[in-house]
Amino acid sequence: MAHLLTERKPYLLLLVLLTLNLGLMSSRIKSAGQRSLLEEAVMSLISPFLKGAHWAGQGLSGTWGAYVDLRGVERENHRLREQIDGLALKAQEAEESRQELVRLRELLDLRDSVPWTTVAARVIARGADGSARIVTLDRGSHDGVRVNMPVLTPRGIVGRVIEAAPGASKIQTILDPNSGVAGLIQRTRVQGMIVGAGERGCRMEYVNELSNIEVGDVIITSGLDQIYPKGYTIGIVASIGEGEGLTKLVELRPEVDFRRLEEVLVVLKPEGPPERSASR
Amino acid sequence: MRIVRGVVALAAAALAQAILSRYAPSLARYCDLFLIIVVYFGLTSPPAGAMLMGIGAGLVEDSLLGSVLGMNGFKKTLIGYLVGSFGSLFMLNQPIPRFGILFAATVFDPVAELGLSLAMGRSFVFPATLDLLQRGLGNGVLGLLFFWIAARLP
Repeated sequence: MAHLLTERKPYLLLLVLLTLNLGLMSSRIKSAGQRSLLEEAVMSLISPFLKGAHWAGQGLSGTWGAYVDLRGVERENHRLREQIDGLALKAQEAEESRQELVRLRELLDLRDSVPWTTVAARVIARGADGSARIVTLDRGSHDGVRVNMPVLTPRGIVGRVIEAAPGASKIQTILDPNSGVAGLIQRTRVQGMIVGAGERGCRMEYVNELSNIEVGDVIITSGLDQIYPKGYTIGIVASIGEGEGLTKLVELRPEVDFRRLEEVLVVLKPEGPPERSASR
Repeated sequence: MRIVRGVVALAAAALAQAILSRYAPSLARYCDLFLIIVVYFGLTSPPAGAMLMGIGAGLVEDSLLGSVLGMNGFKKTLIGYLVGSFGSLFMLNQPIPRFGILFAATVFDPVAELGLSLAMGRSFVFPATLDLLQRGLGNGVLGLLFFWIAARLP
């Protein structure tokens, strides 16, 4: 190697020696930035690699940061979803409470207007077939509930008590085909018998063919059945047809929405006329 | 042996240059004993020997003058290479060609320094022409005297 440098390739030796001298010089000569020329030369040579490494590092760091951020975002997203679910549930509960409050206020208003003692009850069950012909309340004989007591809502009458257990009672609604309510047309005072027609509603029977009845007329209780107090809404005339013999067949739509029946008032009505002085 | 002679010559030149600078500074301005030694080795040795002598002489000169270490080393290495290459191509054992080589090397020295300074962004005052001629003349005459003495050494 030495032979090659000294005899065959002297310019290689020259290159080495000159480079050595340049290195020595650059180590002594400081640039404006107080760096030796050797350092600057080395920096110039390696700076592309450093830049590349920096770029790669930044890219990697950025990617990692984005990944970590995404993980964070995912966690936050999950947390926010849970929070939204919780808030939605709370909002639902609040809305439910608000609606219940409205219903109970209406029920309270009704209670104040009824001249008998009443007890508020909740519907806890429906008929086995899911219909609202028979419903069960959470109040029973322990609360004073007795058979044949009428059940009301602010919209109108619901039905009557057919069974009264100590803690619950069974109600036959006016939708039940076996039920019967003495009613009258509020506008013309024409009387008839309201019979349940299942889920389709009710119909009014024994209405004279010559009676003045129109669709939209309000039908209220007449009180003649000795069960339901007089003057409470039963429903609206939906259609008028021909009945048997000289009668009309009046179909009516109950005012009470039995599909959404939740709270009711059981009128602890004694036999006989109402006693307004009765304790509430 | 050649290396020993080179080291001795280098030491002697350093000593003489130091003495001249100390006791005859005006004379020292017109002679560069390190340059003379490098030219001598360039003419009498292969280029590699001349270059090694060049870097050695240059670094010693840098140390003595307190200049940037490597500046004279660079110049003297380059001069050693050029003279060695030139000497291997031509017969330069006569006084006049040798004088010419010494003169040319003297002129080349500040030229090389100028180039280096420009490359490194350093300021450099190129010597006046007369000054440069006087220095070339001094190195030429002293160099021929050195060559005559060296030729008679064992």
